[in-house]
Amino acid sequence: MSTVSQTQSRTLYRSPRLGRFAMILVCLLVTLLGLMLVGLMLGIPQLTIPDLLTVANGGGSRLARIIVPELRLPRVLLGALAGGMLALAGTLFQNSMRNALAGPELLGVSNGASLVMAAVVIFHLPLPWPLYPIAALAGGMLAGMIALSSMRSLNDPIRLVLMGVSVSVLLYAAIIAIISLGEQNDIGLLYLYLLGSLANRTWDYVNLVWPWALVCIPLALVMARPLNLLQLGDEVAEGLGLHIIRWRLAIMAVGAMMVAVVVSVAGPIGYVALASPHIARRLLGTTDARQVLPTAMLIGAALLVGADLLAKNLFSPLELPVGLWTTIIGGPLLVILLRKQLAGARSLR
Amino acid sequence: MTGSSPVATQRRTAAEVGAAIAAGRPFLVRYFPLVVALGIVLTLVLVVAHVSIGTANISVEDVVKVLTGQQVDSTTHTIVYELRLPRALVAVLAGAMLALAGAIMQTVTRNPLAEPDLTGESAGAVFFAVLWLSRDLIYRNVSPPNIGVPIVAMAGSVLTGGLVYVLSRGRDRQSNNVRMVLTGIMISAIFRSLTSLVLLVNQNAANGILMWIIGSLNGVTWSHWNTIWPWAVLTIPLGMACAGAANTLHLGDDIAAGLGMKVERARLLLLFVAVLLTAASVSVVGSLAFLGLIAPHIARRLVGNDARRLFPLSVILGAIILVMADVVARGLTRVLDLPVGAVMAIIGAPFLIYLLRRTGR
Repeated sequence: MSTVSQTQSRTLYRSPRLGRFAMILVCLLVTLLGLMLVGLMLGIPQLTIPDLLTVANGGGSRLARIIVPELRLPRVLLGALAGGMLALAGTLFQNSMRNALAGPELLGVSNGASLVMAAVVIFHLPLPWPLYPIAALAGGMLAGMIALSSMRSLNDPIRLVLMGVSVSVLLYAAIIAIISLGEQNDIGLLYLYLLGSLANRTWDYVNLVWPWALVCIPLALVMARPLNLLQLGDEVAEGLGLHIIRWRLAIMAVGAMMVAVVVSVAGPIGYVALASPHIARRLLGTTDARQVLPTAMLIGAALLVGADLLAKNLFSPLELPVGLWTTIIGGPLLVILLRKQLAGARSLR
Repeated sequence: MTGSSPVATQRRTAAEVGAAIAAGRPFLVRYFPLVVALGIVLTLVLVVAHVSIGTANISVEDVVKVLTGQQVDSTTHTIVYELRLPRALVAVLAGAMLALAGAIMQTVTRNPLAEPDLTGESAGAVFFAVLWLSRDLIYRNVSPPNIGVPIVAMAGSVLTGGLVYVLSRGRDRQSNNVRMVLTGIMISAIFRSLTSLVLLVNQNAANGILMWIIGSLNGVTWSHWNTIWPWAVLTIPLGMACAGAANTLHLGDDIAAGLGMKVERARLLLLFVAVLLTAASVSVVGSLAFLGLIAPHIARRLVGNDARRLFPLSVILGAIILVMADVVARGLTRVLDLPVGAVMAIIGAPFLIYLLRRTGR
């Protein structure tokens, strides 16, 4: 295996696209940082860059000294982390299953995780805070397993997605039922578990996410080589010495873990995981996972931070759930990007 | 399992068609008028049960007294007549209309998964209805029923249906079942988000939001009934009258054309009837999913593919299923009413999985 992948990586390493890849990465990074900066500035009160600098040096008004480091900074960071992790998870799912539509939101994984979180919160189940992502992971895995096991084979991507969507709808209804049956019901809760929201997220949430991010993001990035091999098809990958079942399970587990972490703090934010890898592939002009993974991560982060800006400021002081905006932006993008693949889908007969 | 090979499935479906035509299920088909009568009686019994079950249990006698116009004490009268009866009656009509819409769409497009919700039409109708209702930005109620709403919803559902159809066409300019449903699901998600956006910007109550995003009968009054019944009177007979044409279309385009039918025109007309049915019910109960899928499939199992029997039985089963689901939804209520759409989805999604498995391979 090692010799083959080394030759492969060497040829890819020499690819002329590398300069373009670096440029895209830098551009995306600048965009992301810019969006995060705008996220720190906008709101009530509105701050300028000099204001932010004064706050950073411990000056400025009292209100600004509380709002920026305690409210806006964690929210922006959480948005970037969650977006990046979702996009990575989407790439892992899509590449390992060779299915352009395999995203956690269409496979039931997001909704499964969200259902468990809703049950834990609404029925006050005694679960310590650090274990929330684990509980969400169990729910997400279970939902994904149901969708996968409803299939006779993985070779029909469209039918797999239809199964996943059916499971998602079921879970979606169950979430609504749980929230209706609970005692504390309000629109915020409803939208958190149905659509996902980043409103009022403090450092507690960031502290819950970053250890997971620290483990999962590098893990996802080093999975580029098996992902590339899996893209060639099961038989070729196996012929090249890849243990396909073991690797696919490992890849999916890492993907599900990242989704579960995000869902446990922000709800099932849709279409970031599904759309980012497609945008990345389109930008790069390649499906090489080693380039797609980091690019998709930055795109996802930028998408989510940008969508959160809209959610927070467009109808200010009214705050809308960010999942609404990611669907409204990401959904049409996806429909346009996938038009050809959708049109090529096999008939049901 | 017989469905594991394509040949077996084809043989089985062919056998089903043949069985229905040759009265292979003679009992239900031969005594079809009796079955219909039985169904109607069952619906009435369920309506009475629906009215009598609730937080305040009201005896069947009292319900019958109110219905026949006899004197009862005023609280009972208010609960039965003002609160529960309109809800039960709207459930009957909405269920019937959605089921008929599903039956028409499945027969005409020969797609077992065709249903207003899966093909995006419900979501489009709901979005336009909500947009229309909130045009003055001061609308805060659940839904002031309004005779204009079904028309706007209809326009929305035609637009969305057209969009899904165009987007799901391949290079060969042919649309197929699965890509249509897939495109429909994605377009639905987008429209559902847009609906939530409009509702949230208008600061709607949680109940109103639940109604529009998943379908609910909470807070249904006589004015809802007044919105839906004229459409039901118009569209249900229209849909039933189309059964002959639907049968011909179900044979396939070539045979239908050979029988002297203008295929495209007939299909558009029938789909338009389905859209009318969907829009009218959606504008009163919100985007209620799966009813249009479940009821026609059960009806098909019972009486076969012949639309002249399939359509009436779907109508009856639709009404029965929705009334029963609403009884369940109300029975579980604590604080925020459990929307009947959630109950429907919890029954309906496994059914969809079963259908997908059965039609696979």
